[in-house]
Formats: sequence, C-alpha cells, structure tokens
Amino acid sequence: MRISSLRLQLLAWVVLPLAALVTINLWTSQRNALATADLVTDRMLVGSARAIAEQVAMADGVLDATIPPAAIEMFDTGDRDSVFYRVETAGGRLLTGYPDLPKASQRGSIEASYRGRRLRLLSLSQAVIGAGADSPIKVTVGVTLAGHDAMVKRLWFSDFAQQLALVAIAGVFVLLGLRRGLAPLIRLRDTVRSPDRSDLDPVEVPGAQSEIRPLIDALNAYMARVRAQMAAQRRFIANAAHQLRTPLALLSTQASYALRETAADQRREALVALQASSGRLARLAEQLLTLSRAEPGSRRPRSDRIDLTDAARQVLEGQAPKAIERNIDLGLEETGPVPVIGDGTMLREMIVNLVDNALRYSRPGGSVTVKLAASDGEAELTVIDDGPGIPAEEREHVFERFYRIAGASEEGSGLGLAIVREVVENAGGSVTLGDAASGGLKVEVRLPLSSIED
Amino acid sequence: MRLLLVEDNRELADWLSKTLRQASYVVDVVHDGEDVEHALAAGDHALIILDLALPRMGGMEVLKRLRARGNAVPVIVLTANASLDGRVKGLNEGADDYLAKPFQIEELEARIRVQLRRANDRTAPVISCGDLVFDTNTRLFALGGETLSLTPREHAVLEQLVVKAGRTVSKAALSAAIYDFETDADPSAIEIYVHRLRKKLEGSRVQIATLRGLGYLLRHDDPAP
Repeated sequence: MRISSLRLQLLAWVVLPLAALVTINLWTSQRNALATADLVTDRMLVGSARAIAEQVAMADGVLDATIPPAAIEMFDTGDRDSVFYRVETAGGRLLTGYPDLPKASQRGSIEASYRGRRLRLLSLSQAVIGAGADSPIKVTVGVTLAGHDAMVKRLWFSDFAQQLALVAIAGVFVLLGLRRGLAPLIRLRDTVRSPDRSDLDPVEVPGAQSEIRPLIDALNAYMARVRAQMAAQRRFIANAAHQLRTPLALLSTQASYALRETAADQRREALVALQASSGRLARLAEQLLTLSRAEPGSRRPRSDRIDLTDAARQVLEGQAPKAIERNIDLGLEETGPVPVIGDGTMLREMIVNLVDNALRYSRPGGSVTVKLAASDGEAELTVIDDGPGIPAEEREHVFERFYRIAGASEEGSGLGLAIVREVVENAGGSVTLGDAASGGLKVEVRLPLSSIED
Repeated sequence: MRLLLVEDNRELADWLSKTLRQASYVVDVVHDGEDVEHALAAGDHALIILDLALPRMGGMEVLKRLRARGNAVPVIVLTANASLDGRVKGLNEGADDYLAKPFQIEELEARIRVQLRRANDRTAPVISCGDLVFDTNTRLFALGGETLSLTPREHAVLEQLVVKAGRTVSKAALSAAIYDFETDADPSAIEIYVHRLRKKLEGSRVQIATLRGLGYLLRHDDPAP
C-alpha cells in the first residue's frame, strides 16, 4: 500500500527502524539477563557447597557430614525453590544427601533434569584433614530454576518497558515535530483556499521554512503570470467595449437623422453613410475577433505550410475593388513560392490588415506594392505605400492595440498593426516599419522560411 | 441657441451636428481639446457637448480649465467610458451632466433642454411672451396657437430674444449667438432678420423694440397681471 500521508510516511520511517533496533536490543538484553541470573545462581551454589564442605570433618575417626541450615536457606528467595545436595568421598562413597543426584562438573555449573524438574548443579572438592583416602570429599549442590527464571524475567521486563517507552516517546516527538514543521504548509493551504481570496495577490506565509519557501515562491510566480494575463484580457475587453461605443453612437445618430429628415436626398445620404458605418463596425468586430484569436493560448497553435506568395495574391485579389475605387495602383512583385510554417488563416489575416492599411493611407491615385522574397532562410514580405508614413517616434506605439496617431484623419480602429505584430510573432517572425523611397510607409515582415523539400 | 460640440470622431461630430441643426440649434464643431478655448472666445455658446477622449488635450482637462477660468457654461460630457468612477469624476470636475456612448439622440436632446432651462432659471418647458409661445421640447414657436414658420436664422434670433424676453439683447450678442463658424458673421444682416420677424409678428401682442445703440428687446403689451 502506498502511504500518501506525509505524517504517516515520516512516522513509519522513524518508528519502524527504531522498533527494529529495539527488538535487537531486547534480544541481547534478554541474553544479558540470563547471563546475570546464571552468574548469581552459580555464586550461590558455590557458596552453599563451600558452606557444606566446611562442615565435613573427622569425628571419632569417622567422616561426619552435617548440613548447615544456612547452606540451604540462602536459596530461600521466596520462589519456592528446592535444593538438592550430595556429599561423597573421593572414592564415591555417599556420606549424606541424594544418591541419584546427577553428577556435575568441577569446572562449572551444568543444568540437568532431576525428578521431573530442571536443576542447576555445581560440584566442589575439598580436602578433609585426617580423612586419608577419603579426602578430598566432593560436594554437589543443585537448585531448581524458579528463582533464576524470576530474576531473568525481572531484569528483562524492566528493560523491555524502558525500550517500549523510548519508541513511544520518539513517535510522539516525530508527530509533534511534524505538526510544527507542517504548520506553514497548512497555513499556505488555508490562505489559498480562503473564501475571501478572490484576487490573485501573492500568498504570504510567515515562518515558512527554506524547503517550503520555493513552493510558495513558485505559486506566487504562477499567480503573477495568471494575473498579468487576466489584466491584459480585462484591458483588452475594456478597450474593445470602448472602441465599439463611438461607432454605435454614430449608427444611432445617423439612423435618427434619417428618420427625421424629410428631404429625400439628405435622407438617402444619411442612409448611405449609415451603411458605410455599419460596414466599418463589422470590420472592427472582425478585427477584435482576429486579435482575440491571435492571443497566446486562445487558439490551438497550427503549423500549416503555406505559400506566402499565394496568400498575398489571394489577398490582393480580394482588395482590388477597393484599390480601383480609390484609383490606387495595387501591385504584387514576386519571384516564386515563399513557403512558411504557421497558422494559415492568421497569416492571411495579417496580410489583409497590412494591405488594408496601405490602401487606407495612400493618397488617391497613388500606389501600393506588395513584395515577396526568400533569402538566407528568411521569408520577407514588404508592403510599401505612398501615404504620409509614420513618424519615427510613433513607430513603436502604433503596434499597441487601439493606438491612434494624434490628429490622424482616417478612421482606423487602431488594431490593424497590433494584429500584424501578434500574428507575426506567433509565427516566430518580426515586423519593422521604415520609410519607403516614395516617402510613404514601408512595412517589412520577416518569417522563418520553411525548406522546400520537406 | 448656439452649442459647441467637441468630439474627435469626425463622422460622429458631423452627424451629431447635422441632427442638432435639424432641431434648429446653431452648432459649432471642434475636434480637439486645444480648440475649445478659441471656439468659446469667438462665439456665445449656451452649452458645450464635450467628448472626453480627445487628442492633444483630454476632455477632463478642458473641463478643468474651463471651470478654473470661471466659465459657468453648462457642459454635457459624452464618453465611451461608462464606469461609475468616470461619471463621478466628470461631475466632480464641473460637468453638469454625463451621457455614455452609445446614446440615443433623443436623450441627448432632452438633456440639452434640461441644461438650457436651468441655465436660464426656468422650470417650465414652455416660454411665453404675450401670445407668442416657444415650446422648448418641440423647439417650435406658436403665435396665438398657430405654429410660426421661420427660417433657421429667424428662429435663432427669435429664440435668443424670447429666452431673454424683457431684457435688452445687443446686436453683437445676437450675432455671437446665431452664426456658426462656417458662416461669415454679418451683423447688418441681423437688421434684416429682425425686420422679417416683425412682419411675421404683425397683428400679435408682441413686438421687437429697437433701442438705438443698445440693441433689441422683445416685449408684449398685455396688462401686467
């Protein structure tokens, strides 16, 4: 199972290894307790055997073994242990005690079963003066293991309790530490989720650690980006609404005038003007739509392979009636296909805006030329008119949306060049304004050339 | 009544002024803020219709300067910015009324009438002098219940006299109120208009009196109530 809670994860990482360590520790401590109990029992066996051996003496030429009560009583630790003993001569003759008690080694204690109970046994030899061949005598003492086992348990249990407490305390501290450590994250969550946060202001979490800080910074940077985009959108919508209001006021005024006018000629004049106004309004709406589509993120990026020459020819054919109406010499200069990659619809719309602008600002009887060239991996589209041009200090501003040159008499929307730049930049190109030899405006659009083969 | 229309969109300015002229207003048009001062100096405008988005000098600045000079001419602000903030700011800067684009011409005209009525301390929409009645809503004159047919110029002169009925109106003031910038002001022509008006008013109880060296005065010979 995947643990997705940070708390559980950290707790597991701290407590599980700790518990493993404690288990090993308990095993060794159990062995230690056993060793200690063994040692204590052996000491007592030695003491008891020595006390018995010391009481063995020659009395009236006979070996006499009287068992001192203290030698037995020293095992009375309240655990109801039974003590067994045997005193024998060097030759193996029993002096006193249990003849069938198992034999024990002189070098150390052994454990053996006796009368259905387990015993710990130890032997001791002692020389008895005047006993002759019977010396040294051999004393064997055995004791049942109740006291021994109780001691192991006591020693081991207290260790066990301590270690258990250690693990529990460590767990509690991990949780407390996590709670403190995670507090800034919880505050961050609450701040972000707070119902009175409708704006995208930067989140501030006081006391956030250096590990959480980058998360907050990233979040704030992200919100700043979203905020900037929203602000741009809002500005655009406000501007768009603003730009639609005056043409609408014009339409309404022209309609009112026509309704009130009784003279047929003037009425007709107003209606013709009204028709032209509504046409311009439609064009403005179209441009707004184009611009909103050119916005990054508003339309799936497309990579059509289009021939710029072909696109320009189509656009010029569409614009020809307008040129003829204004007696403008509209021309195309090309040397062959100029393939580029981009959004075909938007690139065509870009050319429409450039040519429309050029026709609008050229003087009647003037000329507008569209040139296409491909060189050094670049496609170059140039539109030249012989209108008034754009003063150098205005050239950067005219790409801004809704920017209108002060005192310009032509009714433009101020969107054409904004559309051009947006489309060209989306396609990875650039657009620059310059002076035409004829004194008019020269707009140069450069786009990456798509290789003809692929 | 002579109005000054300040609007940078030439077409809108053109058609608005045409429509207002249909209603017998004398209308001057300027397209940018810096021309407002000259226009006001050259004519006697009863009201300004001011667009806020103007090149060179914004409408708000025009308004501020106008009021700073102590000029109290009624101003109706036209704007494409319909926000509450904008409206409040405009009114605080001394606009008398505020109209957001797009608007219906009827509403603009109604507001013009309200401002003109206030400027002349009138409450009723009808001005009468003897048996001559001027309905400011329809902008028509009636004499003894019959609509009086007047040329635009005659209308302008008579309107000026009836608004100021009982007071002297100098020839210069009449001239400043009835000619727009497109027409060469000809003060001597005023005598002709007055002459024609007198003919049209013959047989009524109102007369245009000439005060030599002072000007004209519209009066009626009804007994004082």
